[in-house]
Amino acid sequence: MRAQLMWRTLPSLVLGLLFLSTPVMGSCLDKDQELLRQLQKQADIMQRTSMLLNPYIQSQGLDKDGLKEHCRERPGTFPSKEALQRLSRQELLRALNTMLDHVLHRLMALQQDIPKAQDLETVNRAKQNIRGFKNNIHCMAQLLPGSSERTEPPPIGPGTSPSPTPTPDTFQRRLEGCRFLHGYHRFMHSVGQVFREWAESPSRSRRHSPRRGLWKGARRVPLSRGNKRLLLRGQLPR
Amino acid sequence: MTSVLLPLCERNPEPMALFSVSQTAFLLAFLSLRTYQSEGLSEPLPWAPESLKVSVNTTCQCLHLQWTVHNLAHHQEFRMVFQIEISRIKTSNVIWVENYTTTVKWNQVLHWSWESKLPLECAKHFIRMRSAVDAAKTPGPRVWSSWSSWEEADVQNSLGQDPLFIFPKDKLVEEGSNVTICYVSKSHQNNISCYLEGVRMQGEQLDPNVSVFNLNHVAFIRETGTNIYCKPGQGDGIKGTVLFVSKVLQEPKDFSCETQDFMTLNCTWDPGSDTGLLKQLSQSYTLFESFSGKKTLCKPKSWCLWQVAPESQDMYNFTLTAENYLRKRSVHLLFNLTHRVHPMAPFNILFKNVSATSATMTWKVHSIGKYYTLLCQVELYGEGKVTQHNVSVKVDGAHLFSGLEPDTEYLAQVRCANGDYFWKWSEWTHQNFTTAEAAPSEAPDVWRNVKTVQGRCVVTLFWKPLSKPQAHGKILFYNIVIEYLDRTSVSEVLSIPAPASGTELPLNQCSSQIRITASNSVGTSPASVLVVSREPGNEEVEEERVKGTEDGFPLSWNPQPRHVTGYLVEWCEQPRDPPCDLQWKNLGPNVTSTVVSSDAFRPGVRYNFRIYGISTERVPYLLARKTGYSQELAPSDNPQVVMTNLTSHSFTLSWKNYSTESQTSFIQGYHVYLKSKAGRCHSGSEKAVLSDDVVCCKYKIDNPEQKTFVVENLQPESFYEFLVTPYTSVGEGPHDAFAKVTTPDEYSPTLIRILLPTVFCILLIMITCYLKSQWMKEKCYPDIPDPYKSSVLSLIKSKENPHLTIMNIKDCVPDSIEVLNKQEGTRKSLTETESTKPTYLYLLPTEKRYSSPGPCICFENFTYNQAASDSASCGHVPVPPKAPPSQLGLLTSPENLLKALEKNYMNSLGEIPAGETSLNYVSQLASPMSGDMSNLPTNPPEPALCSEYKMQMAIPLGLASPPSSGSSSLSSITLLDEGEHYH
Repeated sequence: MRAQLMWRTLPSLVLGLLFLSTPVMGSCLDKDQELLRQLQKQADIMQRTSMLLNPYIQSQGLDKDGLKEHCRERPGTFPSKEALQRLSRQELLRALNTMLDHVLHRLMALQQDIPKAQDLETVNRAKQNIRGFKNNIHCMAQLLPGSSERTEPPPIGPGTSPSPTPTPDTFQRRLEGCRFLHGYHRFMHSVGQVFREWAESPSRSRRHSPRRGLWKGARRVPLSRGNKRLLLRGQLPR
Repeated sequence: MTSVLLPLCERNPEPMALFSVSQTAFLLAFLSLRTYQSEGLSEPLPWAPESLKVSVNTTCQCLHLQWTVHNLAHHQEFRMVFQIEISRIKTSNVIWVENYTTTVKWNQVLHWSWESKLPLECAKHFIRMRSAVDAAKTPGPRVWSSWSSWEEADVQNSLGQDPLFIFPKDKLVEEGSNVTICYVSKSHQNNISCYLEGVRMQGEQLDPNVSVFNLNHVAFIRETGTNIYCKPGQGDGIKGTVLFVSKVLQEPKDFSCETQDFMTLNCTWDPGSDTGLLKQLSQSYTLFESFSGKKTLCKPKSWCLWQVAPESQDMYNFTLTAENYLRKRSVHLLFNLTHRVHPMAPFNILFKNVSATSATMTWKVHSIGKYYTLLCQVELYGEGKVTQHNVSVKVDGAHLFSGLEPDTEYLAQVRCANGDYFWKWSEWTHQNFTTAEAAPSEAPDVWRNVKTVQGRCVVTLFWKPLSKPQAHGKILFYNIVIEYLDRTSVSEVLSIPAPASGTELPLNQCSSQIRITASNSVGTSPASVLVVSREPGNEEVEEERVKGTEDGFPLSWNPQPRHVTGYLVEWCEQPRDPPCDLQWKNLGPNVTSTVVSSDAFRPGVRYNFRIYGISTERVPYLLARKTGYSQELAPSDNPQVVMTNLTSHSFTLSWKNYSTESQTSFIQGYHVYLKSKAGRCHSGSEKAVLSDDVVCCKYKIDNPEQKTFVVENLQPESFYEFLVTPYTSVGEGPHDAFAKVTTPDEYSPTLIRILLPTVFCILLIMITCYLKSQWMKEKCYPDIPDPYKSSVLSLIKSKENPHLTIMNIKDCVPDSIEVLNKQEGTRKSLTETESTKPTYLYLLPTEKRYSSPGPCICFENFTYNQAASDSASCGHVPVPPKAPPSQLGLLTSPENLLKALEKNYMNSLGEIPAGETSLNYVSQLASPMSGDMSNLPTNPPEPALCSEYKMQMAIPLGLASPPSSGSSSLSSITLLDEGEHYH
């Protein structure tokens, strides 16, 4: 049990250290490559099922044959990797921000079904990780050219508006939560791969901003109070 | 099944008068009713239930009924019984009948609920009821109204369009309960399987679409509930429910309340297991006091604070109620507040007037009211002892500790309780203090060792550090005063700083008195006095053995006729190490025995004890010497044995280097083991069987100082093994290393005495022969016989016959030819040469002077044919009879012979290769007879006329030149095959 707790805690600690290297909610790194690497690492860690899904399955008693097979992502809850790849970088960051807001909202609902303080702590750590990831997304958006242009969240197909309606009975709610978390980890895996593609082919961004290039002219932009509010509401600053 | 009674009617606070009027009216109505019933039963009861409505509460799986009773007059009340029937699936399947009795008033809506064990969604239910006036006090049968019509409760119609449902949803039950689960399938699938925590359940079919599963004694699994789910055989439509199984709420244990200050009551209890679930909070605790009517909700699960009303309430009657969603549990506690006083721990402990032997402790207590006295318990820990005192205290406490030890740290602690009615002691409050130092109370225990170095007495003083109760503080130094008894020298004063435990003092004179004292910061101890005398004391006391026990060495000695001030026993605790760690023990003058014990005593170590008597002049003299072992151990080693004087019948064993003093036990003697193949033991030994079942002879030596032994009666040229091992009272040494010895041959020495001179003589002769070999050779067997050197010649000369001379070869007429006949085609080895006998052709057989048998002697010189020499024959072999006569005929004349020789010679030159030539030399002095030499007479031939020595001639077949003329003659010629040289 202690070892299990340690395995749960360790990635969070790593994430925490990653976040420490990023000024939280107020200033951003202006080194785009370093920021991208951080996002990749964060996504790699957040995709691990040991961060959320496995503890949830165990606490809810879903780790039984014939039951855990149903703990699969429902199509449409999260956008697929192909859908993410089709997006421009700004669109992707906006979509990510929106999706993670939704995940945060859903995690808060899931906490209602978790009585143990230890499991609650796991969810809280996951929420902190998501908030840190969102902050880095914000910083990345600041470095992208044309970030001041206001664009609506892109249509990324199914998953743009996952149904937040809770199922009435505990069992169905439990199963839905499990499926949701499974989709979340898969989604973060896709996000990490897309970020990796970004690092491998920076030319793609020039298609969207031929004048400034991907990272040229990017400056560290401190968040104003209004920007923080926007960020908390799940919107990227204009 | 259980029924739940709900509050059915509100309270009607009518005055007593009105109540009595109503009662009267009720009685009149009842009497009229009875009259009506007695008159005839054909008419239905006027107060039948009407407007029956049934509702379903799926949360609690309850059927809720409500109805009214009409025809009741205003202010009319009846005690009525309602009989309720519940059917399942169909009206004829009645599963529940219950009589519900209540008081019915005018215009009242009645309610009744029933909880179904089977989830209501699983089947239709039908309900009907009838009523009767409750006439329990009136004898006779009850008159029922007619049944109401069946009311149907069907929840399945409102389930929705899902193909599969499981009920009940999120049910909360206690651990150990029985629960019924059902599924409702709308897809008409029969192969639906249901599982409880992954384990398939077996159910029973209620109708084609509904199956039920009865779970008995459900167990608590986790706080998030037990997962129950069903899956159709095809498709992904898993459905499930969570059964929340709560642990059974336990009654609070060890409920108790007490006060520390008469301001608050602290009530505590053991809550037992937590019944908290995802769907149910943990149990809550409520504290209710009946006298005051106050109630408080306790947030902590195991304790609660209650505010005491000041001086207004002594008695308290508490009810502690534990409650969760499913159950309530209560415990009660009635007590007098003054009997539940648990004072707070005392504080502010101080020590005053701390001296070497006493101290005063003061402390303060928290007040519990001016009318109460506290009983305080004071404990003092020090020097391994505990003392306890009780002190009554109002506000401040004080206690005097006396009889303390100087320079000693003590721990004092105090606790208090209500002196009027004991309930509980407070917690201890403790504090340390140390008493002051005092002068050492005892003289140091001193002993000495006296030795003479270069004619001067040197005393080594030893003293034991004073114990803590004796030192009364930290010893700073030891004072030594040396007073010479003859007063010729000035006294000496030395100061040895602590923590020294001894010193060496060279004395100017041996006769002296030494006074030793110990000093601390306060004062000096009494002095220890030692007198050193030149006389060494009685060193010739015989040593005695003493046997150690678990308690130590019991030593005893004879009481001394002269007056002694005491006795002293000294010993070395480390006798094997050079600083032997001298120890001593002082004993009183009336003591003649003691037991010396020490943790340093080890088994297998010999300890030596010397017992001294101390005279009145403080002069010690030796009384006894004891030696012994605390525990004797069997010897671990055997002596190193040297074997000497080995003879064919004995050898000597010696182990003179073996020390009997430094062994692990007293050596009583030795055993000599002798192993031999014979296995026979001679006198003086006995047979012994060793641990490895080997039988050997054992010789016993009783004297431990006898360290040689002669093993006798041995067999020559025999192998023996021997072992010498010491034996003690606890066993003997190991039997592991037998030495080996083989006795020599009995005659070997004699033979050696004979053989050596013989060999020497032979060698001498051989050397002489070698040195004189030339002489011998010349004398006995010269290389080439020189006729002129021949002894024959000398013999002839000695006879002074001038006519006798050596015959020239030219003068020699061959008289015979020796022919070697060898059959062609057959080669024979040298060993077969006997069969190949040479043929002698007597060339002059007709001469008379050589007529046979003449005294002819044939010499054959083998010097030139080594191979031929092996034949051990002179070479005169009779001619085999099969020799062809023609050949013989050809050689009968000298001419033919010479021709033949020449021819043969020439052939030989042409056919015999160089290097393979050989010589065939036949000499002939006389031929006494023709034939084999073996047939020669043993007697030497008589010199005869024909017995002249004829010159021998060597014929090198390859190199010698042929004779210059045909008149040359050979004494004998041997014809050989080509390359073959046989005689």
